[in-house]
Amino acid sequence: MSERSISVENLEKYFPPALAGWRALLQPLARPTECALAGVSFTVSAGEAVALVGPNGAGKSTLLRILATLIIPTRGRATLGAANVEYDPALARRQFGYHTGGDEGFYGRLSGRENLAFFAAMNNITGNDARVRIDRVAGWMGIAEDLHRQVRTYSTGMTHRLGLARALLHGPGILLLDEPTRSLDPLAAADFRRLLKEELVRRHGTTLLFASHTLNEVEEIADRVVLLDGGKLLADDSPRGLRASTGAASLEGAIVRLARHPLHEETLQ
Amino acid sequence: MNRASTLRKIGAFFWRDLAIARGYRGALVLETLEALFGVATYYYLSRFVQTPELSRELPAGSNYFAFALVGFAFFDYLSVSIGAFDASLEEAHRNRTLEALLVTQTPLPVILAGSALYPFAALALRTCVYLGWGALLFGFAPQSANWPAAIAILLASILAFAGLGILSAGYQILFKRGNPAKWIVLGVSALVGGMMYPITVLPRPLQLLARMIPVTYSLEGMRAALLSGSGWATIWPSIAALLIFAAVLLPLSFALFGWALRRTKITGTLTHV
Repeated sequence: MSERSISVENLEKYFPPALAGWRALLQPLARPTECALAGVSFTVSAGEAVALVGPNGAGKSTLLRILATLIIPTRGRATLGAANVEYDPALARRQFGYHTGGDEGFYGRLSGRENLAFFAAMNNITGNDARVRIDRVAGWMGIAEDLHRQVRTYSTGMTHRLGLARALLHGPGILLLDEPTRSLDPLAAADFRRLLKEELVRRHGTTLLFASHTLNEVEEIADRVVLLDGGKLLADDSPRGLRASTGAASLEGAIVRLARHPLHEETLQ
Repeated sequence: MNRASTLRKIGAFFWRDLAIARGYRGALVLETLEALFGVATYYYLSRFVQTPELSRELPAGSNYFAFALVGFAFFDYLSVSIGAFDASLEEAHRNRTLEALLVTQTPLPVILAGSALYPFAALALRTCVYLGWGALLFGFAPQSANWPAAIAILLASILAFAGLGILSAGYQILFKRGNPAKWIVLGVSALVGGMMYPITVLPRPLQLLARMIPVTYSLEGMRAALLSGSGWATIWPSIAALLIFAAVLLPLSFALFGWALRRTKITGTLTHV
């Protein structure tokens, strides 16, 4: 568990302000002034499960999208294994699987299997190897019986499971998940949490970094919690450590005390 | 990434698009019928406008119907080349697959090239349908055509037009929608490129403008190859001009596209719709 799998050093990200009307034409050249991440640093060891928590706008999704090579940071450095995500994105992409809870990006007129086979090919997996992997991840996600159906006939939850299957397809050593159980029913969410913790993290040694607002999920899966608020890192500790350091009885209480968000303080009063 | 892997991925895009098109078989039948109506319209128009004066302006051995049919069928290559790359991005935005594609081990240029393959294959089929209807029902007779030269002109045209298409995709990725440059290029090309009439009927300034756009050379070369059966010596200047356009436009378009891609990753708008 000592080898660093994910490393984030003084990561800063500023976005240009949103422009409307004719000014939108200047958006690509606008100066980035809106702070999304302000010098965040932490590491995740190989085989560790770390949760990113914090209120909306804390910078969790931005951080995950930087690690997923979809956004370039303004300053600082982020690495996945040996790959700097800014300067060697191709190497970085070989190592992670990325999924967001709102991900419904599939070809509706293709079957689930055809969709997975296409994305497997995009990850250099073809032929029998692809078939074996598709059957395995579909089995994990409980959608093996439905792979022959066109994706447009899937429910939201099934599409979500197909998205998770896609993220796992190439057997990544690192999983980056943004609210992974958002569209799942409680039973499917519990199954998925078990899969993440028992099968992927414990058995296969997969490194997991996930953002979540569901604190019982965080307590069940995460070895450590990274708390962000307003783009700043407020805490980085185990759930037990956070409770102990704040004297709170629950993880929720600990986070509310650390974040000192006005809305939370009102709730406490 | 090695060449075999790239080709396998481009093949996967083709099979994806073919599998999706399987669900729209009715559209294929309707497009074939639409082509028939289009060809018939040009045939009757040509009977109306064909005069000895007009014939003198046309390539040797052809008539206005054959001239217009080739212009109409091959102008589509410009439209598809300019539109195919940004259409693939727009489609990926619309069905929300762009983000999922961008986190795979496939670089964006391969995604663009792969997505454009099926539209080009469909266009080749449509061109055959157009020429087929013309030959079958309306006396279009390319017996003396120089087919190898026609294929060479077509490939050189696609290379030259693809540069414009990649530039258009760069605009699309930066600004997301609307692409005035695309419509200006298509409009100017339709006006002065010689699609429906020889450029010799244009005023001198517009003739000069015609010489600055690739579609003029593409249509001239294609008509010389298909309608006059001209040899390589006649067709070579058109091929050379198209290759010069490609040599300038392709590196320029890749550089600008790379810049646009990086800007959108900085502004965080890469996957915005």
